[in-house]
Amino acid sequence: MARWTAEKKKRAAVKTLFSSYYVLFLLFIYGPMFAMFILSFQGRRGGTSFPMRGASLYWWNKLLEPSSVGDMQGAMLRSIILALIVMVITALFSTMFAMAFRKRFFGSGALFYTIMTGIMVPGILLSLGLATLLKQLGISPAWWSTGLGVHVVWTLPFGFLVMMAVFNRFDSGLEEAARDMGASEWTVFTEVTLPLITPGIVAAGLFGFTLSYDEFARTTLLAGEYNTLPLDINASMTQRIRPTLFALGTASTLFSLLMIGLFLLVYTVLAKRTR
Amino acid sequence: MKTKHEDKSGGTQSKRIHRREFLGTSARAAAAGAAITAFPAIVRAADPIRSVGLGVSVINEIQAQASRDLGFTVRGQALGYGAMFGKMLNQNDQYEVAEGYYNDMDVMWPAGVWQPIDTQRIRDWDKVTDLSKTGRLTPESNPGQGDAPFRHLWVDENGKYVEGPSRYVTMVPGWHNADSLGYNPDDTGRPIESWAELFSEDFKGAVALLNVPQIGVMDAALAVEGLGAYQFKDKGNMTREEIDFLIDFLIAKKEEGHFRAFWETFGQSVNLMVSGEVVLESMWSPAVTAIKAEGVPCVYASPKEGMRGWHGGCSISARATGKALDQAYEYINWWLDGWAGAFVARQGYYMSVPENVKKHLEPDEWDFWYEGKPAAKELPDPFGTIIVEKGEVRDGGSYWDRFSNIAVWNSLMDENDYLVKRWTEFLSA
Amino acid sequence: MERAIETRHRGLIGVQPAPPEAVVETAQRVRREAGFPVGWLIAPGVAWLILFLVVPLASIIVFSFWTSTGHGMTPDPTLRYYHEYFSSEGFFDPESKKFLEPGIFIRTLWSTFRFTLTVMFFCLLLGYPIAYFLAMQVHSFKWQMALFLLCMVPFWTSYLIRAVAWLPMLGRRGLLNDFLMSIGVIDKPSTVLLYSEFSYTMALVQLYVVLCVGPIFFSLAKIDKDILEAARDMGATSFQTFREIVAPLSLPGVAIGMIFIFVMIMGEFATAVVVYGGKTTTVGTVILNYYAVANYPFAAVNALMLMIAMMIGVVIILRIVDIRSQL
Repeated sequence: MARWTAEKKKRAAVKTLFSSYYVLFLLFIYGPMFAMFILSFQGRRGGTSFPMRGASLYWWNKLLEPSSVGDMQGAMLRSIILALIVMVITALFSTMFAMAFRKRFFGSGALFYTIMTGIMVPGILLSLGLATLLKQLGISPAWWSTGLGVHVVWTLPFGFLVMMAVFNRFDSGLEEAARDMGASEWTVFTEVTLPLITPGIVAAGLFGFTLSYDEFARTTLLAGEYNTLPLDINASMTQRIRPTLFALGTASTLFSLLMIGLFLLVYTVLAKRTR
Repeated sequence: MKTKHEDKSGGTQSKRIHRREFLGTSARAAAAGAAITAFPAIVRAADPIRSVGLGVSVINEIQAQASRDLGFTVRGQALGYGAMFGKMLNQNDQYEVAEGYYNDMDVMWPAGVWQPIDTQRIRDWDKVTDLSKTGRLTPESNPGQGDAPFRHLWVDENGKYVEGPSRYVTMVPGWHNADSLGYNPDDTGRPIESWAELFSEDFKGAVALLNVPQIGVMDAALAVEGLGAYQFKDKGNMTREEIDFLIDFLIAKKEEGHFRAFWETFGQSVNLMVSGEVVLESMWSPAVTAIKAEGVPCVYASPKEGMRGWHGGCSISARATGKALDQAYEYINWWLDGWAGAFVARQGYYMSVPENVKKHLEPDEWDFWYEGKPAAKELPDPFGTIIVEKGEVRDGGSYWDRFSNIAVWNSLMDENDYLVKRWTEFLSA
Repeated sequence: MERAIETRHRGLIGVQPAPPEAVVETAQRVRREAGFPVGWLIAPGVAWLILFLVVPLASIIVFSFWTSTGHGMTPDPTLRYYHEYFSSEGFFDPESKKFLEPGIFIRTLWSTFRFTLTVMFFCLLLGYPIAYFLAMQVHSFKWQMALFLLCMVPFWTSYLIRAVAWLPMLGRRGLLNDFLMSIGVIDKPSTVLLYSEFSYTMALVQLYVVLCVGPIFFSLAKIDKDILEAARDMGATSFQTFREIVAPLSLPGVAIGMIFIFVMIMGEFATAVVVYGGKTTTVGTVILNYYAVANYPFAAVNALMLMIAMMIGVVIILRIVDIRSQL
């Protein structure tokens, strides 16, 4: 018994150690955001760096008003819609590709490296190459067509590799057992495979969302006549940078945290119900 | 004209009256104008015209006002410099009006993406100052080296560059300014009167330079000339030897740790000074206003060598035809009309038709922004925030002082590729 | 991964005897017939890739052989830009009879590469324990997901906004300097916190470390906890367990994470301006500079060389760890 308590103590210590490291790590990757949080409450006459010139909600209010350069609310809406579509397509394609790659097939090596090329090709030139072709063909680019096209090319390798990690050493015994019992391929997929790989699919989709939402270079020539959020923010930098940007950043952070909280809540409720 | 000025706040009504007055002058514009006055709603719904540019001129308030005054929608797309340049050059089917810059003309014009503009269709063409037409704002002005507007303005109807005044132009001159050094007088401890101070040992480690090779290299060249270390034949179009000398000089300075940073956007330059990272940097004029607005002392130097000028304006896409073309002309005419000029004046930019701008500024504003006199009262920026205290004086003197001594204009050099390569070496050093 | 299996068997704890070869073969044959048809799985993705990747990429390759006119390109085939790239200063100087250092573009590629390796090292060092913590110490899927998402949150604030916030964080009057001065570590503001190699490295690690946490986490999460328990019961120390079981099994995740980071940082162009004050160049900034003066062929040459370098890197990583061998 004595050994067990010692063991438990040791495990608890290790866990505390890791937890503290996790907290430090969070502090690190949230790094510059602390300045952003504070400065979003900058006084009316202050700017995007210290010192604070009073404190106010002035810049938060500005978030709701139309911006003077660009169209922040519209651009943000476009970026979110685009990122959501990219998320779905990335998750779908990565899963399909990764499932295909569970078998060896002709040209799989070439396909693998073609997919990987998507993160290697410099965005600005991919944008130029496609824009030049579109001009020859007389097709107008738009964020929801050509923009979407190159965003998926960019996010797909990430999702695909995540799914590769998921299928790596994947135990196909369960699937085979289901097949032996006469289940159709579709049933095997939805009843056996899918539940096992759902976390991976979610992660692949999240990569898609995150990378698309932030993508600037690829969109420069392919967004068409309406800006996505990164293009819009980039344009606003030709003016004075105002703390409105920080309010926007803080707001999106708070929103994300809220969504995580919501996820925890929904998951807990659902888990209880299934039990 | 007087009526219009008095009715400034009266909005579209007075504009239309004004427009009718001028209908006689140009037959084609008259047709377009009449159509617009008659069916504003339909036109608005049918086809908006599209304009692209930097956040300097593409500002929602400006295009919204234009749409109200003109009766058709002008949709502006603001972009950062790189995105704007790429779009203007590669996608002229995506805009009717390009709110561009004369220093890009060597790329845009030979590429054929824009069309010659007929000055006979530009209502206030005669009121555009000689700064952009001959390079001399006042008879005794120094036109300066480099891509001054008048060197890239005149073309024939086929778009071939020609000497001197002609009926057609590449771009209708618009907003412009002269850049120099900005500094924090508390930190420098002395007034800065020469570009040479950029390399002064006193400010080692607290200096920033603009990281756009074509422009940054000019600030550096002005400073090197100010030091008396070298004389360039033409700072607007350097030879390889001159570039080599300059870059080698810069590399030596960089290795000494002279530069704190190289900035790329307006906002970065503001933040560098406000946060105390640098005490002296190459700077765009409105940045000084922005820095002072944040409560940090900042002075805009008027170097004895002269300032570095830049000039923007409106060009029309080669793809624009028919009604879109007519509307593009309408929009450009509107730009020269003064309202927009007054708007950008409150941010510190100048407009090529000062006499029209004057009509849309309050006398106190005119005195401060253009005449260089002390502010008679607090003055607002275009968005209504007070940015000028009573009694403040604009650095660099009056508009005419400033623009009669331009040392060099922002330019694209023949040896541009070589310059970019050497600049890369400079930054890597 | 073969190496990993070997390691496992050579090690202290041989928990999984190798399956007889015959069984493996049968299993593989069954698998080859089962599952959705490959053609259907890859068709939509392949069509998409051809349209939005292969075709534009082909045009980039074509552009690299065209001639720049100073305002675009004309289809006059030339090797001039490749020549410029490789021998801008000549390989050999006949007068002094010695080899010259390579041109600025190759040097930039090399320095970008070297720097990338440094950042990869730090990302792995900082990221691995996080993945390990999530996979091994956090037991419910709910919390694993929530804590992982928490690491992703900064990325949902636009990169361009976060970039602006570096200055008030690390600058002379920034929060960190204030903090360090208030606890008495330094007595006047430090300038090495920003616009230095230190801040550049730190910013890149901060930006990209999460990319390797994800894949490593997935590899670790699949390790059967019973095996670890068994190993511990057999008296293996934590370190032995880690070295013999955990580390080899997480290699595919590490490889994938490293590929992400390698490729991202090789292509990096924006961070240097913000946190290094633009005091360095990467291949990405070179490409942008030439793009900005409309010398598209030369930008294309730089891009292709960068891609080749990236491809070599990825191939090397995959040679070390074959992520496809155990699908």
